[in-house]
Amino acid sequence: MFKIETMNGHERMSTQDLLLAIEDAVRSGETEFEIAASGQHDIGGPLWNPDGKKLVFHVTNAGQRVGSMCLPNTEIIVDGATSADVGWLNAGGIITVKGDAGDTAGHCSAGGKIFIGGRAGTRSGSLMKHDPLYEEPELWILKNTGSFSFEFMGGGRAVVCGYDSAEFSSVLGERACVGMVGGIVYVRGPVAGYPKDIKCLALDQDDIDFLAGGMDEFLSRIDRIELKQELSDWTQWKKLRPLTFEEKNAQPNHTMSIKDFRQQEWVKGGIFSDVAMDDFAVHNTISTGLYRLRVPSWDNGKYAAPCEFSCPTGIPTQLRYDLIRKGKLEEALDLELQYTPFPGSVCGSVCPNPCMDGCTRGSIDEAIQIGQLGFLSALREVEPPTESTGKKIGIIGGGVAGLSAAWQLARKGHTVTVYDDADRIGGKLEQVIPRGRLPHELLESELKRIESVGVKFVTSYKVDKPRFRDIRRDNDAVIVATGGHESRFFNWEGKELLTMGLDFLKKVNRGENPKVGKRVVVIGCGNSGMDTCRAAFDMGAVSVVAVDVQKPAAFADEIEYVESRGGQLVWPFFTEKITPEGIYSNDGRFIAADEVIVSIGEAPILDYLPDDADIKKFRDSWLIPNAKDRSILKGVFVAGDVVKPGRLTDAIGDGRKAAFYVDQYVMGREYEPFQEKEKIPAERLSKAYFTKCHHCELGSPQDDHVRCVSCGTCRDCKMCLESCPEKAITRIENEDGSWSYVSDPNRCIGCGICAGVCPCGVWSINDNPEPIKMYRTYNKN
Amino acid sequence: MEAVKTQDISVNDLSWKIEYHADRCTMCGSCVAACSFKAIKVETQAQSIVVSTDSQPNPEHRHIARPIIKQKASLTEYCRGCGMCEKVCPNNAIRPVRNPNSRQVLLSKDNGPIKRGGRTNLNAQRTLDSIVVGRISQMTDPSLDAARHTFDIRAPFGRVLSPKELPLHLENGKMKMDHKVPPVNWIYPLIFSDMSIGALSTRAWEAVALACAYLNEKCGLPVRMSSGEGGMPVKLMESDYLKYFILQIASGHFGWNRIVKAIPHMVTDPAGVLIKIGQGAKPGDGGLLPAAKVAEHVQAIRGVPKATLSSPPNHQGLYSIEESVQKMHLSLNAAFGFRVPVAIKCAASSTSVSVYNNLLRDPYKICGGFFLDGIQGGTGAANEVSLDHTGHPVVSKIRDCYQAAVKQGLQGQIPLYGGGGIGMTGNAAADAFKMICLGANGVFVGKVLIQLLGCVGNEMGRCNSCNTGKCPMGICTQDPRLVKRLDIDRGAQKIVDYVLAFDAELKKLMAPIGNSSLPVGRSDALVSTDKAIADKLGIQYVC
Repeated sequence: MFKIETMNGHERMSTQDLLLAIEDAVRSGETEFEIAASGQHDIGGPLWNPDGKKLVFHVTNAGQRVGSMCLPNTEIIVDGATSADVGWLNAGGIITVKGDAGDTAGHCSAGGKIFIGGRAGTRSGSLMKHDPLYEEPELWILKNTGSFSFEFMGGGRAVVCGYDSAEFSSVLGERACVGMVGGIVYVRGPVAGYPKDIKCLALDQDDIDFLAGGMDEFLSRIDRIELKQELSDWTQWKKLRPLTFEEKNAQPNHTMSIKDFRQQEWVKGGIFSDVAMDDFAVHNTISTGLYRLRVPSWDNGKYAAPCEFSCPTGIPTQLRYDLIRKGKLEEALDLELQYTPFPGSVCGSVCPNPCMDGCTRGSIDEAIQIGQLGFLSALREVEPPTESTGKKIGIIGGGVAGLSAAWQLARKGHTVTVYDDADRIGGKLEQVIPRGRLPHELLESELKRIESVGVKFVTSYKVDKPRFRDIRRDNDAVIVATGGHESRFFNWEGKELLTMGLDFLKKVNRGENPKVGKRVVVIGCGNSGMDTCRAAFDMGAVSVVAVDVQKPAAFADEIEYVESRGGQLVWPFFTEKITPEGIYSNDGRFIAADEVIVSIGEAPILDYLPDDADIKKFRDSWLIPNAKDRSILKGVFVAGDVVKPGRLTDAIGDGRKAAFYVDQYVMGREYEPFQEKEKIPAERLSKAYFTKCHHCELGSPQDDHVRCVSCGTCRDCKMCLESCPEKAITRIENEDGSWSYVSDPNRCIGCGICAGVCPCGVWSINDNPEPIKMYRTYNKN
Repeated sequence: MEAVKTQDISVNDLSWKIEYHADRCTMCGSCVAACSFKAIKVETQAQSIVVSTDSQPNPEHRHIARPIIKQKASLTEYCRGCGMCEKVCPNNAIRPVRNPNSRQVLLSKDNGPIKRGGRTNLNAQRTLDSIVVGRISQMTDPSLDAARHTFDIRAPFGRVLSPKELPLHLENGKMKMDHKVPPVNWIYPLIFSDMSIGALSTRAWEAVALACAYLNEKCGLPVRMSSGEGGMPVKLMESDYLKYFILQIASGHFGWNRIVKAIPHMVTDPAGVLIKIGQGAKPGDGGLLPAAKVAEHVQAIRGVPKATLSSPPNHQGLYSIEESVQKMHLSLNAAFGFRVPVAIKCAASSTSVSVYNNLLRDPYKICGGFFLDGIQGGTGAANEVSLDHTGHPVVSKIRDCYQAAVKQGLQGQIPLYGGGGIGMTGNAAADAFKMICLGANGVFVGKVLIQLLGCVGNEMGRCNSCNTGKCPMGICTQDPRLVKRLDIDRGAQKIVDYVLAFDAELKKLMAPIGNSSLPVGRSDALVSTDKAIADKLGIQYVC
């Protein structure tokens, strides 16, 4: 027995001296200790007997941490109360405190047993743990604990008997078991305020067995065995344990969902329900139908192909090739005749073919051979109209403008008479265009075709004012299409020496073989200037020089032809004066010439028109028609060079347009404007499908359907049908053999793949135009 | 041969380039269908190549034309980097990539100054990121347990009187008040701020409002939301939830007709009134709502036709601080019977301290809060020159104002709220904590909220297309096709979760410095690794 008194009078032994003394005693084999402490700390551990004998300590008046780090086989009995941290990190000792314990009793204990015969302070049992290699620690407390008990507890069992604690609303103090993750706390008496992740349960048999099994030892160690019966009514007990990891994970979330909150408690229908209609349905990022961002549109024929747009006559070549592609060559050739009576003379011969300049194919390899295709229609015959409208139309001027109008109107069943002062019909085609450029037989056959649909030609009929009045009176409508016949020139010195180009050409074509000088200068390097040069050579000129104030406007092959015959083009050349010796420019240059022919255009001769203030003119020469319907007087319409000098194709187009308004006028139909389509934007077309064709591989013009892009017009290739990711596109075939493609709004997501793959630019993808009525100004409900 | 001119716009001139992998693309059309900016299109592309597969040169021509997705080279329909294409692509075949060689800003002035939404992209560096919470209680004083301690996280909104000024006297042993004192509401130090009806879609605005109400009702956090300058929903004003909302009045005075008309029908008082004088994103400039977003309900609430709505840069009746106090504060206090605190919001500026001093000296004690909005504040639409080149960092200005009050012994009397870039680098709680330690009573956030709803805009030029009305997320748009993409419940939940985490994080910062209540002015808790910042703010420099 090792006994020690730590007070010597007023001298108190230090903790260090006491602990060293105890350690010495243990080492020397002592196993029983009577320690009259005076507040020294850490009495009781970690100590062990080398022979494995049990160490027993009786302690009075201990300080903090009695039994701290206590090892198995150590027993500590504290008479009366003790200070804080009793059994701190207890690793196996049996520690009995017969009175009250201070704060953090059993703190971090992971082994042994701690018995407390009174109350325990705050944070008692906190951080208790259980090492699975050893028995679990126990902490028995007769009465109650302070607040924050069993915080962060990770294992072991604690028993709080709640004896003599009636004055407390909670025998575990406030906020017990916070952060507790393991172990069990048995409690007898009220418990308030433990966290949600702690379960409070009734005892099961194992619990009762544990408590019943340990109660005797506890009570006898604290000398209160008489309480056994009082404390053994297990119905008064419950246990607290934390949710297991699995239970925590499986725990349903009891917080109200936002959706429930919105639907059950929030402002009914939403706070904007007065101004916004919203069902709060959440749409997929990609929608079909009404909620698609964009919708496709099959715009077949909405735009003019570049060829059609560039052709003043307005011939839709892409439609001809679509017919050829479908094996309908004859229909394709006839289609052109709906637009022009001169496919051979103009399209296939003298027309510069602006259609081909615009051709999309030209930006891939070479333009489609549209002019030559026109030539194929030259000899087609057409049926005269089967019904007559009974309307009479008089056309003054048998040139291309007048004949174009006559052709259109006659085919509609009107009775058309064309008056011309020349003895042969045909205007400039007949009178001016060198036969070398246009075979006369071809022209004659096309003129015959015009007659074949019922157009009556009246030649050598010079219209003057009275005749005009008669024609106007005798017809339902009149078209003025006498073209330009007065050669223009400026007020140059010596202008009286000039030969008028147009007269010269007319004489040539009439076969009069007019005489020309050896050295000829032609003023004007346009196409008619080149025609004049060509005629001058034909008539025996040795040298021909054409001059112009600007870069020659004639077509390259016309210039080439003139140059091939030795002709020379000089520009810029501003004519100053003409003398019998030649021509002077304003900068002093001189070109010797025996004859100077002027060919810078012609003004119309309109002396047959009535003196009516309603007739408006440009520069006192050209007529200014009503922009709305091409009329100059009621029932008098105009076409061709009487309005503006132009190419033959311009005149044909103008004739078509005049015919359109005349037809509308004589039939008394409601006004509608002549339809002119917008040119298809190039970016709508997909040229990627077409491989470049080597120049020498060009086939015949009718075979060009393989090369034609079919701009703006569906070629029925089915690229869209096959490419649509949602299979939304259907092809519908109509009874007449035509077809259309439709996109099903219930499938289409508005991706625009159809527009992206369409070679012809028929499909487009646009903002969804369908309005969605979502907002309003106010609605009380 | 393609006809390309050197001055044509190419995709390499744009800020974002579409990275597209034709080999992975299934041509499902999702990306093009989803892109609200029409920045990509479908095009047929040709590969025309001559190959030889023989043992000697034997040319064989191969031509493949196939559809691909292509970025438009356009300055009007251009990629904003929002990434919706990437989001909807099933095969990771497409995504926007930031183009470091962009010339877009340079080339995009054909129609006048560039306008956009979002925050400053030039002055995105933040003072708060070189400040850390450096004074951690350990041996000197125990830190608190953030998870278990009870914290008092409340900030005053309203004019706080000093104890000496309280009109109290004892009468028969009981304390009596002689006259009314200014109203003060104790609120959560995080205010949902100032995004107007109009700037936001109905769904986005309601999602924020819903989150605000939920946080109050279900989470016990007295978060308040400011209406922004586009008025208030009538239904909300007639409901009991109005108590969580602060009514804003800005220079355009939009929406106040319906607010005034609703006053007799209010069953509760609003949480406060905020007079917006200016905002950090574009100080000196008024609100801007492009016509594309002025839908019928916006026209109705604001009382204007469809047009681009520009608020004046100033409140037109105010010419001085004194007058603003007299006129605006008085009138708005009076409108709600002097029961509702009225605060004022200005863009942070080199003159902020003078303004604050003036407000502090106001003998009528009528100003209930001073909101300072810094250069990193967001906006739905502004001139880019204002966003990038005007403004003032908020941190030092809050500090200056606080210290000016301290010098006069008036700190805490007019609560200071700081905003503009709070949460920009991800953690609004840390930002709030630092701002509070420097003297703010609380902070306000806007951009972060819409980012939680789904906004992908950022300070590196991503998206920021709030002004176009084409917000791909349905947040900053009034186009029903886009608005209905937004899940209001999911969005509100995200905000709720963020604020709950904010609350936990704020405690995580309060606990180590041992503060149970908001550490207003506890600058000793902060240190800076930047000497200049440390010196300016009067905190410890550490390295």
